[in-house]
Amino acid sequence: MHLFLLTLGFGIVTAAVLSLASVGLSLQFGVTNYVNFAYGAYLAVGMYMTYTCMTAFHLPFLIGAVIGILTAGIVAVIVDILVLERFVKRGTSGFFLLIVTFGLQLILLNLAQAIWGVGFDRYPIAQGKPLTIGPFSVTVAQLEVVGVAIIALVAVHLLLTKSRLGKAMRAMSDNKMLAQASGIDINATTLWTWFFTGCLAGLGGIALALNTVEFQVFTGNSFLFVIFAAVILGGIGKIYGAMLGALIIGLVVGLSSLVISSAYNVDVAFAVLVIVLLIRPQGIFAIAGKA
Amino acid sequence: MAILIGYLATLGVYFCIYNIFAIGLNIQFGYAGILDFTVITFMAIGAYMAGVGSLGPAQPGTEIYYILGLSLPWPLALILGAVSAGVLGYLIGLIALRRLRSDYLAIVTLAAGSIIYGLVGNNTKIFDGYEGLVGVPQPFNGVLNLSPNTYDLVFMIFAAVIMLLLWVLANRLYKSPLGRAMRATREDLDVAEAFGKNTYRIRMMAMVIGAVFVGIGGVLTIWFITALAPAGWGTSETFVVWAALIVGGMGNNKGAVIGSFLVAVLFNEATRFLPSINGLPSLIPEIRNICIGALVILTLRFRPQGVFPERKAKFFELPLTGRGREREHEVVVTGAEE
Repeated sequence: MHLFLLTLGFGIVTAAVLSLASVGLSLQFGVTNYVNFAYGAYLAVGMYMTYTCMTAFHLPFLIGAVIGILTAGIVAVIVDILVLERFVKRGTSGFFLLIVTFGLQLILLNLAQAIWGVGFDRYPIAQGKPLTIGPFSVTVAQLEVVGVAIIALVAVHLLLTKSRLGKAMRAMSDNKMLAQASGIDINATTLWTWFFTGCLAGLGGIALALNTVEFQVFTGNSFLFVIFAAVILGGIGKIYGAMLGALIIGLVVGLSSLVISSAYNVDVAFAVLVIVLLIRPQGIFAIAGKA
Repeated sequence: MAILIGYLATLGVYFCIYNIFAIGLNIQFGYAGILDFTVITFMAIGAYMAGVGSLGPAQPGTEIYYILGLSLPWPLALILGAVSAGVLGYLIGLIALRRLRSDYLAIVTLAAGSIIYGLVGNNTKIFDGYEGLVGVPQPFNGVLNLSPNTYDLVFMIFAAVIMLLLWVLANRLYKSPLGRAMRATREDLDVAEAFGKNTYRIRMMAMVIGAVFVGIGGVLTIWFITALAPAGWGTSETFVVWAALIVGGMGNNKGAVIGSFLVAVLFNEATRFLPSINGLPSLIPEIRNICIGALVILTLRFRPQGVFPERKAKFFELPLTGRGREREHEVVVTGAEE
């Protein structure tokens, strides 16, 4: 029982990391209506900009993290303006957009690897002893990850429900043509969406780096299928679904390490993904027909 | 001189192999519209199975482990590799080809590929993990006793013969009723279904046939290099095949040939021999990957139909009379690209 609760704690931390990245991916999918396979690269940008700020410019972690998050957001916007938007404007079908983002994945990850190298890195911050809170045993960094994830998700919720921009995003997600006809500036909304997606990805990347301690450029990309599993489980494009999906996948992945080696984390997520696709391909939350 | 011939023969072999990959992917994507983002996994399974088929049993005490080790003659190893790739194609198709939207399909293929990559890499007992198989016996080499350069030439001819056979098969398939049905499902799944076609079965056929083709290419690869490790079949290698198909022009095998020549031979293989920069050994492959990604995006942006566009099907194009040349102006019935 003790071991179960201990693993449950790790599962919650994984779920927190996962929820940040999944909400970002789902938000972008909902508004733009295509999957971005280059998403793992944005995680790497957030992760490594923070690292560079800390090691090269000796900035404190918090400032480094803010710079990392904003850089990831700006990179996402630049990539959208330079590449993706041109294909969307021309009415390229979903097929080819997937190939384009697949190509972008190759370009961005290799670019990041050319800049930051192949090896494993870690943030120069003290890991600290694991704290024991009730049955759980977590590091301070992991606690912070959970806290930040909760704050970020509440912020996303407020953004979507209270702000004009959030409402515009939800309108575009429901029906792009109708949103445009109602006078929503869909270009600006799309750009803002990419910015928030990139920021959430960057934040997710930093959280992932804190959780795994050692990271490299491709760490985010190998995490991508776990993110996809969470997003599809919640119904692709559904933000609250993505949160729930992240919680489920995070707990399943965490608890599965009781039974099999944690080297198979991605495989467990994939197994869940396959089961979901076979039983309920539209996801838990999706309305039938929309998925 | 002998070295030059050997080098050209090597490039020739790579051309044939990539051509087979591109034709296989063309059957999956170009004919039937299946977004297979894990082409290279079929190559790897074909190669590994042929490898463990033709290698002798694993010797205990050498720290090298692999399954089977059947010492099969090469034709049987080839069949083993091709069939294994086809079976894997079927299994992935079982999940991916249910009526899912195309992005789910792409995610499932990509995820399946990365799962298999992890499984093969982490389990040293299957194909010796990240170390990979080495010393796979080459066909005819034991009989002919040739120098390496001459052997490369012989192998090039062997690969070219197999490539031609597959090319003819793929073209027959394109013109056959099954091939037409595949293209119909590519253009519009619902319309094909309304005409009474079992689209799931048709797409599954394309998936499996394509996988078998790529698997045969994989068998040739492991015979030629005599070794294969997971580092040789990462996601970026999948993208080289995609680049070949897209640059050449999808949907027709001529495009696949041109594409594999341009991308796989000129672009990819020729740059492999560039000297690496001191202290940055991974920079050249990184730049190559960036260029291949950019090449695909630019092609899709400025010439989405590729170097050799697919010929549009024309009405009344039946070989009833010899007056083919007078039919140039007939009505175009179906648009290939959308």
